[in-house]
Formats: sequence, C-alpha cells, structure tokens
Amino acid sequence: MRTADRKARRRALTILAAAAGFPMLGVRSAMARAPRLEWRGQALGGPARIVLRHPDNQRARQVLSHCVAEIDRLESVFSLYRPSSELAQLNQRGKLASPSHDLRLVMAAAKRFGVLSDGAFDVTVQPLWQTYARHFATRPGDRRGPAARELARAAALVDYRNLDLDEGRIRLARPGMAVTLNGIAQGYITDRIADLLRDAGMTGVLVDLGEMRALDAPGEDPWRIGIEDPRNRGRIIGSLPLRGAALATSGGYGMPFDEDGRFHHLFDPATGRSAAQCLSATAVAPDAMTADALATALAVAKRERTRALLAAFGGSHARLILPDGGVVEATP
Amino acid sequence: MHRRIAAVWRPILAMWLAVATVPFSSAFAEDGHIAAAVLKRIFPAATHFGSVGGAPPAIPAYRNDEIIGHVFRSHAVVRSVGLSGKTLDIAVGLDAAGIITGAEILEHHEPILAIGVSDDDLARFVAKFSGRDARLPIQVLRRAPKDGTAVDAVSGATVSSLLMADAIFQSAIAVGRSRGVLEGGASGIDLTGFEEADWQTLLADGSLRRLVLTLGEVTRPLADKGARLYPAGAGPDDPDIRFIDLVAGLATPARIGRNLLGPQRFNRLVGALAPGDHLIFVAANGLYSFKGTGYVKSGRFDRIQITQGERTFQLTRDDHTRIEQLRIAGAPKFREMALFVLRQDRGFDAARPWRLELLVEGESDAGSVLTVHTLDYGLPGRYIPAAGTAQPRVPSQDLWRAVWLDRLPDVVLLIGMLLILGAIFFLQDLVARRRILYKALRYGFLIVTLFWLGWYAAAQLTVINVLTFTAALRTEFEWEFFLLEPLIFILWAFVAVALLFGGRGAFCGWLCPFGALQELLNRIARRFRVPQFRLPFTLHERLWPVKYIIFLSLFALSLGAFDMAYTAAEVEPFKTAIVMRFVREWPFLLYVAVLLGAGLFVERAFCRYLCPLGAALAVPARIRMFEWLKRRWHCGQQCNICATKCPVQAIHPNGSINPNECIYCLNCQTLYFDDQTCPPLIVRRKRREKHDAEPFAEGV
Repeated sequence: MRTADRKARRRALTILAAAAGFPMLGVRSAMARAPRLEWRGQALGGPARIVLRHPDNQRARQVLSHCVAEIDRLESVFSLYRPSSELAQLNQRGKLASPSHDLRLVMAAAKRFGVLSDGAFDVTVQPLWQTYARHFATRPGDRRGPAARELARAAALVDYRNLDLDEGRIRLARPGMAVTLNGIAQGYITDRIADLLRDAGMTGVLVDLGEMRALDAPGEDPWRIGIEDPRNRGRIIGSLPLRGAALATSGGYGMPFDEDGRFHHLFDPATGRSAAQCLSATAVAPDAMTADALATALAVAKRERTRALLAAFGGSHARLILPDGGVVEATP
Repeated sequence: MHRRIAAVWRPILAMWLAVATVPFSSAFAEDGHIAAAVLKRIFPAATHFGSVGGAPPAIPAYRNDEIIGHVFRSHAVVRSVGLSGKTLDIAVGLDAAGIITGAEILEHHEPILAIGVSDDDLARFVAKFSGRDARLPIQVLRRAPKDGTAVDAVSGATVSSLLMADAIFQSAIAVGRSRGVLEGGASGIDLTGFEEADWQTLLADGSLRRLVLTLGEVTRPLADKGARLYPAGAGPDDPDIRFIDLVAGLATPARIGRNLLGPQRFNRLVGALAPGDHLIFVAANGLYSFKGTGYVKSGRFDRIQITQGERTFQLTRDDHTRIEQLRIAGAPKFREMALFVLRQDRGFDAARPWRLELLVEGESDAGSVLTVHTLDYGLPGRYIPAAGTAQPRVPSQDLWRAVWLDRLPDVVLLIGMLLILGAIFFLQDLVARRRILYKALRYGFLIVTLFWLGWYAAAQLTVINVLTFTAALRTEFEWEFFLLEPLIFILWAFVAVALLFGGRGAFCGWLCPFGALQELLNRIARRFRVPQFRLPFTLHERLWPVKYIIFLSLFALSLGAFDMAYTAAEVEPFKTAIVMRFVREWPFLLYVAVLLGAGLFVERAFCRYLCPLGAALAVPARIRMFEWLKRRWHCGQQCNICATKCPVQAIHPNGSINPNECIYCLNCQTLYFDDQTCPPLIVRRKRREKHDAEPFAEGV
C-alpha cells in the first residue's frame, strides 16, 4: 500500500517532454550531428530517461553506464523503498551520526528552501502524508478527509526548523517527525547526472527523472518541454523552452487521495490541508533541485507570493494553471 | 565449491564404462572452442573467425581483415553455473562496440524438464539478449513490463533465467574489459611491479590525479545561492588564490606507493592490509583542509567521501594514516597528507574508476549551502594486466533464498514425506505387525518417491553429489552451491542422520526414485509370474564388491579429472530414468532398459551390485549407532525364511543382516511378527491353539 502510494506520488510530477535538440540551420557542428543515445529506466520508483549525443557511441554508452550506477548509489541514500537507505534510517531512528555528503547537501538545501519560502516548502510534511494515507486507506472515497484533531496532531510535527544539521550530523529534533525528500531528491539526482554528463563532454543532454535538466548546448535548439493538462492527463496544453536550465512541475492532480482531487499530497504546512491555490505549478531554475523545490513551494504558497518566491529561489520562470483553467505566467 | 570441479564435457576414450561413451556431440572438445555453425549464428556479421586464444579465452570475429568482435563461452570465461550448481555454458558474441550479437546455450543441467520447460524455451530466452548493451545489464523479471526495460524470465524457471542472464553479461563484461572494448579490468591488479618513478612521472601517467580549485571557482556556485564561504570581510577575497590543490591516487601498487612512501613504510602499511583492501593516498595544499577538524571528535571525515559506481565510502579515523613525509623525488611540500584504507568487503574494487568528493560549506542568510567538487580517478591500464582466469562466481545469498521461497511448497511436501518415513522407522514394530498397513505404506511411499520426488521434482540423489561435496571440502567450500537445490539439500541432511542411526537403507529402500522404480517394476513382473532368479549366496557375495570398486574408481577419477568422473558417473542410470524422464539419446535408454530388464528377474539388481551411491553410503554407515531390526536366535540356525524372502538377499545364511546391503524395507520384520510364516511363532501359535482346543487337558 505504501509503496503503491509513493509510486503514485511520483507520477504527480511527471510532465511530458517533446523531444527536440535539432541543430539550427548553418551551425551544424560535428557534435550536433553526433548520434543520439537514449536510456530509459527507473529512479526512486519513477520512470527515468537520459538523452545525449556524442560522436563516439562507445564512449557515450560507457558514460551512460556510470550514470546508471550513480542513480543506483543515490537510491541507497534517498530511496524510501530501501529500508537500508540513509533516509529510511533517519526516519526510523530520528538521527544519523554519519550521513553521506549527498544527504547532508540535500537536507541543508531543504532547510534553506524552507526558510526562503517561509515554510511553503517543507520536507517534514511526511507525518501529514501518513495521516492522509492512513485515513483514505481505511475510508476510501470519504468526502470530509481526516478529522481536524488528527490533522492538528500531525501538523504539529511539521516544521523544517526542527531539522538539526549541525556538525555534519542530521537529527530530527522532535519525536515522531519524519522527512520526505520526494520534492527535492529527484532534482538532486538529476543535477548529479547532468554534471556527470557535462564533465564527460556529452552534448544534447536531457535528464528526465520527473524533473528535467537540459545542458546548455551551443548550436542546438532548446528542448521544448510539454506541460501536461492537469484536468486531462496525457494531454499537453503548452510548452516551455529549456536550455542550460531545469524545469519541474508540481500538481496535486498527480496523486489525489479522493476522486474529486480535493485531497492530495501537496500540503500547506500551515493548515495541514491540501493546497488549492492552483492545479499545477511549473518552475524553471538553474538547477533541478531548486526547480523541484520551487515548483512545490509555488503550488502551496498564496498566488501573490509567486514573484517573490521566484526571486528568492533564483528561478527564472513560473507557470501556474489555476483551478478555473486560467494560466498565470510569472518572472521575477 | 570450486568451479574447477564442475564438469566440462569431454569425450571419454577408453574406460571400462563402455556404456557411458555415447556418440554425443564432441564439437566443444576444448575449453573455449565453439563449433563453426554456432559461431556463424551468433555473430552473423563476421566473414570468418580466428582461433581461440587470450585470457579469458575468446575467438576473434573478423570482417575481412578487421576484428569486429569476439565470441566466447561463458563457462570458459566466468565459470558460469546454473541452478543445478553445474556447468551452464552459453556461447556469446560481443561486437567491438560492446553490443551482444547473439547467445546460444551449449550446455546446461537445469532441472527444467521437471517443471515443463523445454530446451527451446531456454534457447528463445537467451536469444533475447542479442542487441543488448553489455554495459547495461538488463533486468530479468518474472513479468517484465512491455516497454523493453526488462526481459521476461522463462516462466517456471525464474532463477535459471537470472543465472543465464548473469552468465551472458558477466562473461561479456570480462571479455569486453580484457579486449579493451569495455572499461575497467578484473580484480587482477599488478601490485608488485616496481620501477623508480618521480612525482612528475606519476602525475603525468595518471597514477596520481590532481584537482586544483581557485577561490573564485569555489565561491561562485555558493554565491549563486546567496552564500559566502567566509563571513563578509573575514577571509581572503582574491578569486585567483588557490583554494585547494589536491592530489589523490591508489597507493597499493608498489610503483605508486613504494615510490611515494619509501620501501620500509610501504611494506609495513601494505603488509597490514587484509587481502583485497587498498590504500588511497590524498595530499593537499591551499586554504582549505580536506581533513577538517571534525574527525578528531566524531571519528569521521566530513569533508571528503569516496564514491565508486553504486557505492559510497565514508572515511573514518580508523581507516586513516597520517603521512608526514614523502620519499619521492620532485614532490612539493604538502600542508596535509593521508592514507585511507578502502575495504574490499565493503565493495571497493581498485580496478574500477572512483571519485574523491570534496564538500565545501558556505553560509547564506537562509542557512548553510553545501557544494561538492570531485576528483575523478581511474587506475591506469599499466597496473591492470589482461584479466586472468576469472574467479568462480558464487551465487549470492539472495539467490538461494529466492530459490527456497520459490520451491517452498515442494520443501514442505518433502519434509512431510520425511516425517512420515521417520515415523515408520520409529514405529516399525507397530507397522510390521500389520501386514496390510505395511504394504499400503511401503508401496504408497515408493509410488510417491518415484512419481513426485523423482519424476516431478527430479530430487534424485546421485554419487555426483558425494563427489562434488568431497571435492568442495578439499578446495573451497561454499554452502551456497548446495543450498541452491533445496530438495537435494534436505534429502542429504536426512540421509546423513539416517546413516548414523541405521545405515544406507533409509535412502536406498525408501527415498531413491530409481530404487523405487526397480522395486515397483519387479512387483508387477512377479504379478505376471516372471520367474525370479536367486543367485547362489557365494556368487552373490562375490558380486557385492563390484559397486565399491565402481565407487572407488569414480572417487579416484574425481581427484584428478572431475569432468571424467562426472561423465563416468553415467554408470548410474538416474539421470536418464529419473531426471530426464527417458528423454535422451538411445544408448542411454538402452542401458537403462538393460538394468530395468535385469531387475525384473533379480530384484534391485542394480542396487545390489552396481550402484556407486549405495557403496558410498555403506562406507560411512559403518558408524551407525542402532540395530533396530529384530532377530531370533533361531534365525540362520533353524530357519532361513527371512533370508530367502529378503528382496536384496542382504541376510547371510547364518541369519545376520548385512547392514551394507540392507535396504531397510522391513520385509524381514513383517515376517518376524508373522505367526503364519516365522517357524518359532508357528510353533508357539500351534501350542496355544492346541491349548485352546483342549481346555481341560491341562490337568491330565
């Protein structure tokens, strides 16, 4: 049950990529003519895809195999499916004495994003999610949602400021606290893979682990990333260009607890209720971890804070799809 | 178990075992050779093929004058084994780009016939791997999604499927690495080769790698996130100043470590390492300390970590050796230097590339920001001679657990069977007194043994088990190989205990499917009044040793040439009659027919005179602790009924039961309690009847 839910939760972030990356006229470099290589697999329980170009197919495959190993390594840090993963251990024990660099980096970023969004982005919402999941597992289709008392009890555990990250250790300051990195770990992995590919000299790179990152490729058109219609899944209702940056989408529609989609996984930590500001929020930022967190924050925060959040996170573009179907574009 | 002992088919030339030599395909006479037709099928793009060579052995595939790939046998390369623990040999083609061109099974001993899977199913399965990239081993799942990201296992043979995929990819990787198609090498690293080399040489040839970061390169990514390295105005601000100048490399090869540290220090440090463990050398200058100070208190280094493939290695104080001075010519003076131990049992493989990751922490108004800088290291090819003979691959723990789970219903049934058999032995008097119950139990049990244990589950113990076990004891013993066959494992455990208690009979008489087959056929023959021959006891006794000679010959063969012993063990008809259920070439069938035919006239002729497994069991059974078969003093003195009725003539004319021959069928015990057959009981019964008939005679 938990596994299935988590899988579904990942799907919420899925957007469709319209493949591009064709060279512009007149600037056909050897790199741009290089054959395209594509890998599809799994990362943190969701579909993953890596696209790249390199004239030496053998070299490209070798680098790709490094990427697959790196995804595997990071799963053993962040995966909630692996009971031995560092994150699972942290949630179980409430502290980790010697976390890896990767977990420390992501936890520090998570806390900083919490500060920057004034709590709209908060990785300690896991108790809320557990409350909802439990409630709808026993009462599927219930229209009222969990009791206010239960929600209050879970919401009381939610506070990113109770993440103690001093001296290279990680501690959850209150008993019962739990962390989910689903709004940020995919982004981190995406960035690591993109860095690996950039360092190896690959071009035409698109890394898609739910969040997408495209490397800057001179002489190539930007990727066009399709954005899914939240009310008509599988249909694209617009697209954004992506080049040398990352893009992420968050939407409650991806993982509703009930049929109407009133209850979903994007919680407002302030109220413990599912956010209803918009159906989906798409953010473009320099790296995927930031885009990932920013999209979540945008989907949860009040609409008037959109520009301020973009500026605080260093994002370059946001697109919100409102409950009435309206589209809001924002730049900082 | 050492894979060397697993059999590779070779034709047996002159052996007293004429029956075992069959016109079997001997196209694969020597290690690594592959028949031309197979080569052509799995590497169609080639115009011709070279001869087998190199380490691991492979056949180059040519297009005109250019080598475009290799074809090799998985067993010759990685000693691949199947679920049976025996040779699994797959011919695999690998092209120069690292793509598998085709695969074909040459030899396998998977117990697939027992579960209704055909050889064609397996052939179709391995064919699916053509076109796959050897670097990206694909998952094999019971039910794979249709998007091509995984391959469907052969239904009913999931574990065999996993092992076949493993054999294909592991051998392709080993050959690919050794031929320079794929990166990395096997674990064979040249640790001892030494020549004087100075600092510049080691840096230039990649033995040591360097990462230089300026202050600007470190502060820029921090500034992007609104963070500073130092509080404003507190630190240096020239962006070109050297933040860190880091050098790292593997120190275990003598050419690197001995040059760096000098012979004495090097020898002492390397001598203290467990086999397979390695030392990594790290040295740095600049503003930033890679050690930091946290390790003094916490015991772990929080600014550096090593990653390799899917593994992360944290460095701790226990793994750390401080270095004060370098012996190598031309080295700069370093602010800090260290050696760290990387352990093989945690998965470090020095031949594969690794990364040293340096963590730098900055401070922003919203909290700290961490950034990572990496130094990539790959051991230069000069330290990795061409991969030698691959180590045997031991199945992982997970694998045998999966097998046990997979066969759980069979395991439960078998344990139930053994419990019933145990009860029959412990309550043998109760059973033997009741002739109808005895017959029902006896023949019921034999039918289950033959049909379920033998033909369905293929759980026929064989002398090969004995040979592999003793061979494993002499070489490298791995429980995992034996655990891969749950039923065989349980049967052996039971037989071992039964040997201690009573002798070989518990197995021979009750749990041997071929024994059951002979006995049941003989019963049917008797029903049709087929005449039974009883050999004169002296001749019979002289024939007993034959099976010991056969067993000792097999054992002797197994010491020298296990593969020949394996073939010679075909003297046992078990494989043909039970495991392969008669689906085999005619000479094997003829042999079985002769044995079974003989068994119609002389009950269990094979068991009595030829069975090497029976012999192998009789020898340790001499230490048995109990004699539970009841005898009377009359036995052999006045009466030989038991001896004549004994189906295997295990009772001497003097009345004693020869435990080396006894199959513990309990027939003599039913006679022992039968007052219609056993003379002392008849006498006693007659006396009682007479007494009953003449109630008043007593007083006379």
